[in-house]
Amino acid sequence: MAQTTRKIAKARQTAMGIEYKTTVGDKIFMVFDVLFFSLFAFICIFPFYYILINTISDNSLVNSGAITLVPQGIHFSNYISLLSVSDFINSIGVTISRTILGTALMVLASAFAGYLTTKHRMWHRSLWYRVLVITMYFNAGLIPTYLNMMGLGLTDNYLGYILPGIVAPYNIILTKTYIESIPGELQESAYIDGASTMQVFTKIILPLAKPILATIAVFGAVANWNSFQDSLIYMANSPELYTLQHRLYVYLNTSSNLASAMQSGNAVSASSLNTKVIQYTISMVTVIPIAMVYPFMQRYFEEGIMLGAVKG
Amino acid sequence: MTSTKAIARPAGSKLYLLHRIAILAACAGVFYPALSPARITTAISQYTSLLTSAISWSSLTSGLSRALNRGYLATSTFQLLMVASIVCLVGVILSAVGGCMSAGNTRMKRKGLRFPIIGSLLMFAGLAGIYVSYTQIVAADYSRAPAYFPMGFWFYLVLAVVILATSLIELVRGKGAVLEPKMEMLEDYHLFLLFLPILALAFVFCYLPLWGWRYAFFDYTAGGTLSMENFVGLRWFTYLFENEATRNDLLRVLKNTLAISGINIITLWLPMVFAILLTQVNSKRFRRVVQTLTTIPNFLGWVIVYAIAVALFSTTGFVNGFLTNILGTPSDVNWLMDSSHMWLKMWLWGTWKGVGWSAIVYISSISGIDPTLYEAATMDGAGRFAKIWNVTIPQLMPTFFVMLLMGIAGILSNGLDQYLVFSNAANGSAIEVLDLYVYNLGIGSGQISMSTVIGMAKSIVSVILLFAANTFSKKVRGESII
Repeated sequence: MAQTTRKIAKARQTAMGIEYKTTVGDKIFMVFDVLFFSLFAFICIFPFYYILINTISDNSLVNSGAITLVPQGIHFSNYISLLSVSDFINSIGVTISRTILGTALMVLASAFAGYLTTKHRMWHRSLWYRVLVITMYFNAGLIPTYLNMMGLGLTDNYLGYILPGIVAPYNIILTKTYIESIPGELQESAYIDGASTMQVFTKIILPLAKPILATIAVFGAVANWNSFQDSLIYMANSPELYTLQHRLYVYLNTSSNLASAMQSGNAVSASSLNTKVIQYTISMVTVIPIAMVYPFMQRYFEEGIMLGAVKG
Repeated sequence: MTSTKAIARPAGSKLYLLHRIAILAACAGVFYPALSPARITTAISQYTSLLTSAISWSSLTSGLSRALNRGYLATSTFQLLMVASIVCLVGVILSAVGGCMSAGNTRMKRKGLRFPIIGSLLMFAGLAGIYVSYTQIVAADYSRAPAYFPMGFWFYLVLAVVILATSLIELVRGKGAVLEPKMEMLEDYHLFLLFLPILALAFVFCYLPLWGWRYAFFDYTAGGTLSMENFVGLRWFTYLFENEATRNDLLRVLKNTLAISGINIITLWLPMVFAILLTQVNSKRFRRVVQTLTTIPNFLGWVIVYAIAVALFSTTGFVNGFLTNILGTPSDVNWLMDSSHMWLKMWLWGTWKGVGWSAIVYISSISGIDPTLYEAATMDGAGRFAKIWNVTIPQLMPTFFVMLLMGIAGILSNGLDQYLVFSNAANGSAIEVLDLYVYNLGIGSGQISMSTVIGMAKSIVSVILLFAANTFSKKVRGESII
């Protein structure tokens, strides 16, 4: 029994291009290989550990740069104090709401558009599909796009975060391709039962397309959560609409902003917080949701990039 | 499905075509500031479309708060203007409903005609309201807010007339026609109408900005107007090469752009090697953990990467802390202000952030390689490296080739975020890539025309490069990359 298992394991390793018999050279290679990846993974993760220990250590020690490898004087009050910084509350509210709203609308629109473009009966279908797809390959440029947004009254306007993101041509291509792979009989039988186009969409297409919708949703959510450029360019005159990353960027650049923000926030917390601690804490607040969710959603992310690669 | 067959394909009446085009124009004009009938004084921002005037009081009166507060202009004038805009907008929406219904069967068409009739009457009412507020502005004669008779007024007046006339003629012409028992629409048109909102959004956010390219041919400053007076033709294009300061700037920026892109392109094989080396590790769990940890940075924005840079390299950051506290060699250098080797540093950050994620494609490809190839290689006595060299790498070449072509096609597009967040007074000149230059020029110094010219040139070159790469790929591999 055990022998069979080993044989299978061996066969599999051979298939992966890994020879089971080990020479000295192989062993040395393996040690270095594992060491290299351990080191690289460490480099990827260490900065977050460093920032984390600085947000939970004694603030005066943090400020003087005394915390290097181990936290000292552990406390979690920085995360509580942050709640009294009104700028931060605005930003996290904007970021969370746009992540939810923007992603939901984008996913729904992509599913709907993807579904409609599979319908051969649509009037001039291939023309309209091309009209959508072409937009992926050109870009009017930063300034004309900005002036267009301004002309539409979407600068310094929350809708400026939501509306431009609804139609995402690439995601429409992905959903269209996926929906085309769903057996057509399912739709036909629904039509015979008297279902309308919209009913077929909500009752049949949406549930069956869940895997692809999950994939585009995770990408959309991350993009919204990390949004910085649109906030920077379109919302320049509306600090109450800054996204979290934009807020962090402002804080990273100007400590004077921070001091006034803290004073207007709460006099008590102002004494314990300082520029550095706030920068670190907001960084952590931005990173933690992604770090928590990513391992569980990794599958969808990887499927997403492979879809793109298959297309290529 | 069977029921749709009973519906006759709508007769291709030329008049309906005109009717629909007029309605479509009215709908599109709603978004377009230059066609707004509501900009009755030049004090209203030229970026105010009819839609904006109808939904946003603050945008409508943004340039007028002083005049309104001091009473030079009556608030009621603008309240009337806004109400008139709303009425006009409702008229357009009703016309649009009618326009959609005109795609149905005869019954639906006829029932639908009432909407554009009411709609165009509302448009007339709205335009009348706008005209009244215009006369009030004229009467107020306030020098800071000179009256302006917008072109859009005529535009909408003509459209309203056309819509009303075509509707009425169709109404009379179709009298006595045999009506179907039910309102129905051919599936073709129904599907198209459902798709129309998506197309409209794509039009507004992807195609409409192209119209902004006209700024490249005018001497335009933010807040100004475009007229034949400041039409300069191709002056900005020649200026780029004739003005020495600008030319030097542009050369410097291009050098940065090409250098940084170049470093990225010649190191494009790194993710492939990363993938090959990682798949050599036997432990599946180890591979999973490494993959997870090395891909996370890809999903964090550049601001976070910069925050990390600050945490590690600022005066009281990790590096100095490590030198001081652990190694006992006190140091308080601000590494971030060090402007040497910027290209390389930018590449390092990009690699730190992206290499794990870029490797995913290769890892998937490797697991998709036919095992018999390896078996055959083993039979021939190939060792680990021989197999990597003779089997794995050739199998990964198509993927690598696509990445390489995409990299070359995107040689001018480094992105803005990374270079913006890392730029400071010390490293500014070495880090300024084309995207950042356009941003600094347009948003920073307000040189709208100049930055439009550069952005335009960049877009066009990028598209040409992309299609060239695609054609090359088709010729060589028989497969397109886009």
